[in-house]
Amino acid sequence: MLLYTMKRLLQSIVTVLLVVTIVFLLLRLLPTDYYFTEEQLIKLTDQQRHDQLAAAGLLDSPFVQLFRFYEDLANLDLGTSRRIQHGVPVTQVIGGKFLVSMRLGLISLAISLFLGVVMGVLQARYKDKFGDHVGTAYTVFVNAVPTLITYSLVLVIGARLFKLPSMYSVRNVARSSILPVVCLSLTSTAGYMLWTRRYMVDELNKDYIKLARLKGLSSRKVMYRHVLRNAFVPLAQYLPYSMLLTIGGSLLVERFFSVPGMGTLLTDAISRYDTSIVQAVVILYASLGVLGVFLGDVLMTLIDPRIRLTSKGNTR
Amino acid sequence: MKRIFALLLTLAMMLSLAGTAFAEPITDFVTYQTTANEMETFNILYSQYAKELDVLTNCIDGLLSNDNYGNLVPGLAETWETLDGGLTWTFNLRKGVKWVDYQANEKAEVVAEDFLWGLEWVLNEKKNLAANMSMPSEMLVGAQEYFDYTKELPEADALALGLEKFQEMVGIKAVDDYTLVFTCKAPMPYFATLGSYNCLYPVSGKLLAELGAEGMKAVSYDTLWYNGPYTMTTYVQNNEKVLTKNPTYWNKDIQTFNTVTVKMVDSVDIAFQMYQTGELDNVTLNEANLQTIYRSPSHEFHNHLNEARPTKYSYQIHLVYDKKLEDGSPDVAWNTAIANEAFRLSWYYGMDFTNYLGRINAINPLNCTNYCYTAANLVATSDGKDYVQHVMDLIGLQPSSETYTRFDAEKGAAYKQQAMEELSAKGVTFPIQMDYYVQGSNQSALDTAQVLKQTFIDCLGEDYVVMNIKTFVNSLIKEVRAPQLASFYINGWGADYGDPINYLGQETYGKDNAFYSSAYSKIDLATDEDLIAQYKEFTALVDAAAAINDDLDARYKAFAVAEAYMIEHALVIPLYVNISWQLTGVNDYSKIFAAYGIQNNRYINWETNKQGYTTEDYVNFAKVYEENRK
Repeated sequence: MLLYTMKRLLQSIVTVLLVVTIVFLLLRLLPTDYYFTEEQLIKLTDQQRHDQLAAAGLLDSPFVQLFRFYEDLANLDLGTSRRIQHGVPVTQVIGGKFLVSMRLGLISLAISLFLGVVMGVLQARYKDKFGDHVGTAYTVFVNAVPTLITYSLVLVIGARLFKLPSMYSVRNVARSSILPVVCLSLTSTAGYMLWTRRYMVDELNKDYIKLARLKGLSSRKVMYRHVLRNAFVPLAQYLPYSMLLTIGGSLLVERFFSVPGMGTLLTDAISRYDTSIVQAVVILYASLGVLGVFLGDVLMTLIDPRIRLTSKGNTR
Repeated sequence: MKRIFALLLTLAMMLSLAGTAFAEPITDFVTYQTTANEMETFNILYSQYAKELDVLTNCIDGLLSNDNYGNLVPGLAETWETLDGGLTWTFNLRKGVKWVDYQANEKAEVVAEDFLWGLEWVLNEKKNLAANMSMPSEMLVGAQEYFDYTKELPEADALALGLEKFQEMVGIKAVDDYTLVFTCKAPMPYFATLGSYNCLYPVSGKLLAELGAEGMKAVSYDTLWYNGPYTMTTYVQNNEKVLTKNPTYWNKDIQTFNTVTVKMVDSVDIAFQMYQTGELDNVTLNEANLQTIYRSPSHEFHNHLNEARPTKYSYQIHLVYDKKLEDGSPDVAWNTAIANEAFRLSWYYGMDFTNYLGRINAINPLNCTNYCYTAANLVATSDGKDYVQHVMDLIGLQPSSETYTRFDAEKGAAYKQQAMEELSAKGVTFPIQMDYYVQGSNQSALDTAQVLKQTFIDCLGEDYVVMNIKTFVNSLIKEVRAPQLASFYINGWGADYGDPINYLGQETYGKDNAFYSSAYSKIDLATDEDLIAQYKEFTALVDAAAAINDDLDARYKAFAVAEAYMIEHALVIPLYVNISWQLTGVNDYSKIFAAYGIQNNRYINWETNKQGYTTEDYVNFAKVYEENRK
C-alpha cells in the first residue's frame, strides 16, 4: 500500500506539473496585447506598453519565464494578481474564496448524498410504483430543464414566498446560504438518485440476491446489507473527488447568487488575462482532481474487500 | 406678471411635491452593480474606470467638487484663484481635515504636501504605470519630463523616489500646509476644473511611508486612508461593499446615508428581482423589463417608471478614412467613398436614426438625439447659454420630441445622387460595402446593429450602401481597430475637465493627443487632399479657439464655430446620448450632475423616498430643477 501510495504521489506531481506547464506555455503564446485592458491600450503608447511588459519579465523567452515560474513555485510564491485585485498576492486572493465555496459545497454534498441515496434506495425497492415514477419525474425535470431556469424558479419562490435573501451575504450567512445550497443540491441529488436506483436494480437482479432471499433473509437485510453495499461501490469512487471539488465552487450558482467563492475565479481570471491567478487555480484544480481520484480508489478498497490496489495476480 | 406666474408655478410644484416631501427618506441605501464591474484597485490615483471611481469618489475628496447643476464647488480647497490669466493657480486648502482608516480612526491631517505625493505617484512611471498621467503631463510644467525621468530609472530607484527631485522638476508647490500652487505650461483658464478629477487627488505621505510603494499598489479597503464622506467598512469581492458615513468628515452641512451597500449581482434581471422583493432601492431596467412594465398599465411599477438623466457621454459615428480588407489590403472603394463630402453628407442628412435611438430609449427615443459632438452642460457663456446651444444655433438645428430634425430626405437624396456621380467618375462601383463590428456574444449589440442596418436600407437604399454586421470575440481594439477592419465605429466620449478642448482636441489633425481622429478615424493615414484640407481647417479653428485665454465667452464661441465646421462637413456624425429607464427611490435631480470629472456618483445630498418615486414625481422634479436653474 505504501509503495502504491508513493508511486501514485509521484505520478500525481508529474501530472500536475505537466498540466501547469502546458497551461503556462499556452498563455505565453497569446499576443502580449492581452495583458492590457482596452483602456490601457487606448492610453498607453507602444513604448509604455513595451516598458511595462519588460518590467514584468513578460518579454523574456517563454522558457526563461517557465524556469522562473518553477523557481517561484518551489518557494511557494505564486505571484501577484494583475487584474482581479491589482498587486495583491495570489494566495491572498484565493485564500478568501475557497472556504466559502467549500462550506456551501460540503453542505450541499451532504444533503444531496443523503437525500439522493435514500430516495434511490426507495425507488429501487418500490420499482415501478408511484414513488418510483415521482422520483424519475424529478430526475428528468432537473436534467431536462436548463439550469438557469431552475435557479430562477428557486430564486423567485425562495425570495417571494419565503422571504429569503436573493443573494449570498457575508453579514447573514445562514439565511443567505439557503437558496444557493438548494440550487447546488437539486442537480446532484437527482444524480445520486438516478445512479443509486440503477446500481441497486442491477444488483437486485443478480443471483446472490436471489440466493439470499431463498435463504430467508429479510427484505431489509437484503437491501441494506448486500444490495446497497455493492451498489454503493461505484458511487463511492467519486465521493472524495466530489468532496474535494467543492473547493472549486460552482460557476453557475456562485455567479447567480453572487457567492464570493472560487467558482467564477478561473473564468474571470482568463477573461481578464490575469495569468498568475490562472496558473494558481489550475495548479489547485489539477491537484484536487488527482488527489480525489486517488482517494476514491482507496475508499473503494475499504468498502469492497475484493478490490486490491496493488497487483496480486489480478485486479487493479 | 411673469414673476408672479413663475412664483405660482413653483408653488404649485411644491404642493404637488408635498406628498413626496413627507415620504420617509432612505437612511441606509442599498444599490447594485453587475459583477462584470467589480473593482480591481482601491488606488484612486491608478484607477481609470467608473467601476472604481464611482465608489472611491465617496471615500476620498479632491480639491474641488460639483453641485447638481455641474458648477464647481469647494472640496478640500476652500478657495482657488489665478492672477495671471490661468498660468498659475493657487488653491487654499481648508484646515483640520483628517485622514482616517476604514474604521474612522484618525491617522493624520490633510496637508498640501499630500497633493504633491499624489501627483508624484501619478507621474512616476514605475509607481502608477502611466495611468492618469496624460492630463497633468499636457498641462503642468515639467510633468512630462519627470515622467520620462522616472521611466529611465531602475525600478527600485524609481519606487524609492521622494519629493525632492519631483519638486525640482514639476510645476506644483506646497507654499505652506494649506496653500498649493500649480504652474501650467501655458495659460489654462479651465485648469481648476481638473481639480475635480482624480489625477490631482491627494494621498497621505504618511500612508505611503507606512505601506511602501508595493503596498500602495496593492492597497486594499482596510489599509487605505480616507478623507471623504464615507469609509469602506466591508468589501467582499463579487459580493458586496459597504460604505459607512465618516463621522470625522469635514463638511457637516451635507446629507449622507448612514450606510451605502453596493451588492454585486450577476445581471440586471437579478437586480430587478431584488428590487421587487425590496432588497434594492433602485434598478435600471433592461429593455425586456421596461417593455413588460410599460405595456401593462396594471403592472405594480407601471406608474413608477422614471427616465434617468443623460450620462455624461456623447456618442458619435466615427468614420474610418483608412480602412483595410481582411487580407490587409486597402479597402479602396470605401476609402474613396468616405473621403467624398457628398457621401458623408448623404448620411448626415439622409439618415433618420429614430428607430436606432429606440434601442437606447424604447419609450422616448427622440430624447436621446444628439446633434453635437460635445455633451451638454459642459460649459456655458456668461449669459448662461450652454456651449452646445451655441453650436446648435450655428448648425441650424434644434431638438424636437416629435421628429428627428437633422433628417432631411430631400437633401439626403440630393447628396446621394451627387456622391454616386462623383464616385462613379472615380471608378467606384455601388453599392459600397461597409463593415460594422460588434461583440459576437453580445446579443443586445447584435440586435441594435440589425436595427442600424435596416435604417441604412430604409434611408439610403441597398443600391447605395450595404452594411455588413461582423463580429469580434473579445477585444474591439485588438481584433478590429488594430488591423483597421471597420468602416465606422460608434463611440462615446465623456470629458475629464471642463473645456471644449477636451472634446474637440480628440478630433484634430496631426496632433499627438488627438485620440479619436488618429486611433479610430485614421485621418493621419488618409490621402485625399480635400478631406485633409477640411481636417486642417477644423484643426486651425480649434487652435485659434484654444489660444483665447483671456475671454471665456470668446473662447467658447470660437470653439463652437470649430465644432459646427466639423459637424457640417460630417467629419464625425453625432448620434446619441444615453438615457435609460429606472425604478428608484432616489431623485436624480438632487445628485451631482457634472459633464466632466469623477464626482457624479457621490452619495451626498440625495433626496430619497423609501416607497420609490412615481413617474409624476419625476416630471415635477425635472420642472423644479429647470425652474431653479433659471
